[in-house]
Parts: sequence; C-alpha cells; structure tokens
Amino acid sequence: MRYMLLPLILPLTHVLASEPLAYPRVYWENSVKVWLVVAIAIYILVAIPSIYFAIKYRYRPGQHEEGEHIEGNTALEIVWTVIPTIIVLFLGTYSFANFVKQRNAPEGAMELKVTAFMWGWEVEYPNGKKIFAFFNPDGFTAPEDQKVYIPAGKPVKVYLTSRDVIHSFFVHPARITEDAVPGRITHTWFQINKPGEYFVFCREYCGTWHSHMFAILKVVPEGEFNRWLGVTTQ
Amino acid sequence: MAVAHTPSVPWFGATLKEWLFTTDHKKVGMLYLVTSLLYFIVAGIFGLIIRYEQSAPGIQLPSLFGQTGADLYNYILTGHGAVILLWWAVNVWVGGFANILVPLMIGAKDVAFPRLNAFGYWSFFGASVLVLLTLLPNNWIKMLWTGYPPYSLNENAGSTILYVTIVLLYGISSTAGSVNMVTTIVSLRAKGLGWTKLNLFVHSIMAASLINLFGVPALMGAVLLLFTDKYLGTNFYNPMLGGDPLLYQNLLWFYSHPVVYIMILPAFGVFSEVISTMSRKPIFGYISMMLAIYAIAVVGFFTWIHHMFVSGVPDWIRVLFSYTTLFVAVPTGIKIFNWVATLHRGAIRYNTPMLFTLGGILMFLIGGLTGIPNAMVSIDLGISDSLFVVGHFHYVLGMALTFGAFSGMYYWYPKIIGRMYSETLGKLSFWLMLIGANIFYFFQMYMGMAEGMPRRYPDYPPIPEWITLMQIQTVGAVILSVGILLSLINWIKSLRGPKAEDNPWKSPSLEWTMTDTPVGPHNFKKYPIEVPEDWHPYAYYKGYHVHV
Repeated sequence: MRYMLLPLILPLTHVLASEPLAYPRVYWENSVKVWLVVAIAIYILVAIPSIYFAIKYRYRPGQHEEGEHIEGNTALEIVWTVIPTIIVLFLGTYSFANFVKQRNAPEGAMELKVTAFMWGWEVEYPNGKKIFAFFNPDGFTAPEDQKVYIPAGKPVKVYLTSRDVIHSFFVHPARITEDAVPGRITHTWFQINKPGEYFVFCREYCGTWHSHMFAILKVVPEGEFNRWLGVTTQ
Repeated sequence: MAVAHTPSVPWFGATLKEWLFTTDHKKVGMLYLVTSLLYFIVAGIFGLIIRYEQSAPGIQLPSLFGQTGADLYNYILTGHGAVILLWWAVNVWVGGFANILVPLMIGAKDVAFPRLNAFGYWSFFGASVLVLLTLLPNNWIKMLWTGYPPYSLNENAGSTILYVTIVLLYGISSTAGSVNMVTTIVSLRAKGLGWTKLNLFVHSIMAASLINLFGVPALMGAVLLLFTDKYLGTNFYNPMLGGDPLLYQNLLWFYSHPVVYIMILPAFGVFSEVISTMSRKPIFGYISMMLAIYAIAVVGFFTWIHHMFVSGVPDWIRVLFSYTTLFVAVPTGIKIFNWVATLHRGAIRYNTPMLFTLGGILMFLIGGLTGIPNAMVSIDLGISDSLFVVGHFHYVLGMALTFGAFSGMYYWYPKIIGRMYSETLGKLSFWLMLIGANIFYFFQMYMGMAEGMPRRYPDYPPIPEWITLMQIQTVGAVILSVGILLSLINWIKSLRGPKAEDNPWKSPSLEWTMTDTPVGPHNFKKYPIEVPEDWHPYAYYKGYHVHV
C-alpha cells in the first residue's frame, strides 16, 4: 500500500523545485507536505506491528490455539492518547499559520468583483470593465472575449457574491476555493506567476451545467494586461 | 402467538401476514436489513452508471424526457448518495444489525417498544417507496442528498416536497429506532450485566442512537423550513428577503457530520467483536475502547463547520473548528491502536469475518489519515468539493463501513440463519473488494489532491492524465462490484448451506452461548438470564460458558 503513495509525493516535489506557479498555492502545498509526512509515518507505525502480529500470532492447530489473557495496559493507553493529541495540536497550528496567509491578500492587490450565476461568472475590473464567462455545454473552451485577463506575477483580490444559488470559485492553479453565496460578500485572493491559460471551476453543485460553469483565466505580462484593460476606457 | 417448532430458517416459515404485522425485533431487523441491502444494490448500480459517465470526457448519458444527460447524471448522483448514506450506511446498522443483535447481547426477549419498532420500520418503508417514485422523470430529485437552498428551491433541482417528505419519514424512523434502542439497553439488560460487561457493539449502538436523538431534530427542522420557504411563503433561506442560505447548512451539518459516526461506530463495534473473538483475546483496553466510542460521539457534534470552511463563515470560526475536527483523531486513534494491540499474542484465525474486519480497519486507517487534511483548514481551501473528499469518505463510509457490515454478516450468519456460508466465496469476495476499492478510491483521492478535479462533474476537460485516472477508477469499481456480488451470492446460496454448529467461533457472548441456532422465537433457552460475576463477553481465557 505504501508504494501507492509515491505518485502523490513526486508531483509536489517537482513543483516546489521551480518558481512557485501560483499563490496562495504555496501555503496549501506547505500544509499538504507536512500532513503527508505525518500520515505516512503513522501508517507505517500501525502497519508494521500489525503485519508482524498477524504473521507471528497466527492460530496453529495443536500448538497455538488460545491467545493470552491481556486486558490492557494503562501506560500504553496514556502514550497513545497524549502523543496523538500533540500531533493534532501541531497540525492544527501549522495549518493555522498557512491559513492566515491564504486569507489575507498582499497590500496593493488588484481588486475584482465576481458575481456568480447559473451558469457563469461576471467579472468586474477596477475601472468598471466587465467580462461575462458563460457556460459552454459543448466543451471546455471559451471565446476570446469571455476570457478573464489577469496580470502575471501580481496579486489579485476577489470579492464574491451570487445572483441566484450558491456557487464556489475554485482557482485551479492557485488551489484556492471560496463560495459565492447570495446575500453575502466573500473574498479570496490569488497570484499566478506564469503566463498562460488556466481554469476557474465552480465547485459548489448548482444544477444542470455545474460542470461547465468554468472560466478561463488568461494570464499575460503586466504591460499587455494594462493595454487590454486600458484600451476599452479610451 | 402459538409456539411452533422453529424451522431451520425461521424467516422462510413466516407468513406474509407475520411479516407485515410482526413486532419481533429479529423480524423487524431482518426487514430493515433486507431493505437496506436491496437499496445498497441499487446505489451500487447507480455508482456504476456514474463510472460509465466519467470514464470519458463529454456527456455519455442520453437526453431523456426533455432533460439533458447532465440532468440524468445529477439525478443518479443524488440517488446514489442519498441511498448509500441513509438506506445502507445508517439503517444496515441502527435498523438492521442493532434490532437483531442488541436484545440477544443483553439477555432481553425483545426491544423495549416492539410496536414502536415496527412503526419505525414502516416509516422507513414509506420513505423507501417515495424514493422509488423519484424514478419517474417528472420526479427526478437533483439537489443532491444535501438539498442546499437556494438551489433546492429552484425548479432545476426537482421536487422539493418529495425530498422533504422522504427526509421527514427517514427522521421519524430514526427517532423511533433510537428511542427504542436507548431504552432497551438502559432498561432490559439481564441481571449482572453492568456497563463494563456489555459487548462493544452494544455500546456503539447506544452511542449511535444518542447521536440520532440529538442530531435528527436539526435535520428535520432544516428540511421543514425548506418546505415552508418553497410552498408557504416563508423566507428563512431566501437572502433577498432577509433569510440566510447558510442557516440551512448549519442545521444540516450539525446532524450530518455526527451521522458519519452513526454509520461508522457500529462498524467499530463489529471490528471489536470479531477481532477479539478471532484472536482469542479480550479486547485490549476495554474501558478506553468504551470511552472512545462515547468521546467520538460527543466530539462529533463540535465539528460541523469543517463542511463549510469555504462557505464564507468568519475566519476565526474556521480555525476553531479546524482544531475541534482534528481532535476526533485522538479517540479514533485509540481504537486503531487497541485493535492492533488485541492481535498481540493472540491466536489469530483468518476466516472470512476476520478478513473483512482486518480489511475494514485498514480502510478506516487510510480514511482517517486522509480525513486530517479536510480538517486542516489551510488544506481544505484547496481540496474542498474535489475528488479528494469523495475518495476520503468512500474509504470511511463506503468501505470501512461496508467491510464492517460484511464482517458482521459473515460473523452472525451462522447464528441468525442457522447455516454456514461458503468460506471460499467469502474470501474471494474479500480480496476482490479490498483490491478493487483501493484502486478506485486511492486514485480518486489522487485526482482531487494532485490534479484538483472537482466533484459532481459528469464532464471534465479532456486532459489526458485525467482520462487515464478516471479509467483506472472505473477498473477498480468493476473489481469492487464483482467482489460485492460474490458476497451477495454467498449469502443467498448459503440459505441452503450446511447446518451451523451452535457456537462456531467459541465466543462467550450471550448471543452465542445461550440461544438456539438459529435463534428461536423467544430468543433465549431459559429465563431469567443471569451472568456470572466473572463473565465477560470477551473472556476467552475461561473457556466459554454454556448456561442451559
């Protein structure tokens, strides 16, 4: 079973070897790595004695038919209550430290207003320019005028709400999710460093075209972004 | 009722009228169990339809009755989820196993309220019939089992009143069953049977019933308000008129996270019975095992916000519930360590119930360790509503639970049915299920964590790695299905199997030592039941006692 965990480790190692693709993905990855090490360690710690006992203490007719009368061991119980408690507190606190970074956009972030609807996203830029990303029932491509332009290497803060039912804004490269709830304004932030096209998916089930309620983020160098944003206002 | 000669398989000797009007806990339990198993099969078929759809990008399912293939998928997904959770995962235990076994383990003639017991079953049956009505195209329910507003109030979601009625009938059944179980365990234990002399399975049913009693009212309240919002003009969940959609989520998850423990604690109870018996050793740390059961039940009520970590609740609440959710790992860890310690210096028999118990503990270990990132709020922001979550809860609720139920079926089959099952078919089923489940759900988790694939998607971008990973999952699902099918065949075939001996596992537990095989109409061979001072359900070292 342990070997199956390797595919999970390798991609994470690879990503971290280069410039981070996106924030706050890095903080998510930090927590995933720590969790994974702890989980594998516990798994091995349980698996080894289990396998050993399972083999050594097999029933053998005539030789080994009854187990020993062992009712428990208070000291052991204390050990495997206290140590897990410490591990739990450590994981919770490590997660908290990363969570703070995930929830607080850097100063000077560009602010977008995103309104979700069945089934698409309305994105409003600081200068009032709006992009509508409508669902496409025939695939996962979008017309050029429905792509959401984002400047590479710059933090973007997103304010979210919904016009109808609950949706969830998942920035795939940044590994960050926040719901768009009607009647509420929620927020999240992300930064993508490498130009290219990336997905935003809806992650809260919202009906027929939930799976096609995506947007394409077109990440371009800042200069190109400014020209794209500015041309319309002239 | 006249005392007749007990047929070898008493169920077949009962008339239809007896089945319809029975208040005998064993028959009521069997009604629940068979209903539960039938719906489990339906949910499994729905699961295979989901796999068919997800094995390739694009929408595979046809447009039918004026609805798109995506709508059909959403109905199938809703049905699979609701049925596996509420028909199989809850009622195989609280309705089925608990009804059959609890009176037998505590020395009682029946449950405390036999008529209430029957009423609970027929409420459950009513909900079962209404579920069948959802097969009619106009009645497709597409709001998932969770029924979140405002979506569940939207016409796209399907029939809200049908959803509400099904949930209410389920709630009535759960409440009736739980009141009955708590009262039975508290009031009808045989003389000498103190709390520390009960089977751990009984403690797990007590804890599960208490969770039901505290949690079900929140669920029923949540769906009642859904009904009044949609049909009577109230606005509890409508943000346009002052309501709050998150109110529903709070009420729903207040019940629906602890319900996870209603589903898994009885499986833990089975693991304890089987691992102890098949190791010929007292369960290691009985007292801490007993306390861990109740600790899990209590802590489980302080965790529900982890289902709402991205819903827009204040940041400090997310952090608080991150810690409280992580703390469930402590009592569940105690159970894992104690089971492993029970194997130490045992004399371990590897029969089918034991294999399913060991397999179930393994699945729960993986499910538990992969539950941790869902509780770490910084990881959850990246994996919420992804396939990682789906894989995680299928390890726990799909597999640890199902392995527990199958272990229990095999363990008690000789006593309840009076026949022996086939060991060959049982072991073959076990290995196929273990291998198939790990292929399926491991790669499902991988897709969610490493690839970020969202859940509840009939279609997905045609990324080559995603297609490959989806197809691997489907292979695992088919292997798993064949394994499940073999067990079902085993249980049906073995209705005519060789006669079982009275106590094939040499267990000291009351249901094995003081009853006929199969159990007769009055349960025990003589009354009153008195257990000796030095008796314990796991006291193998004394040899077993037969009190006739």
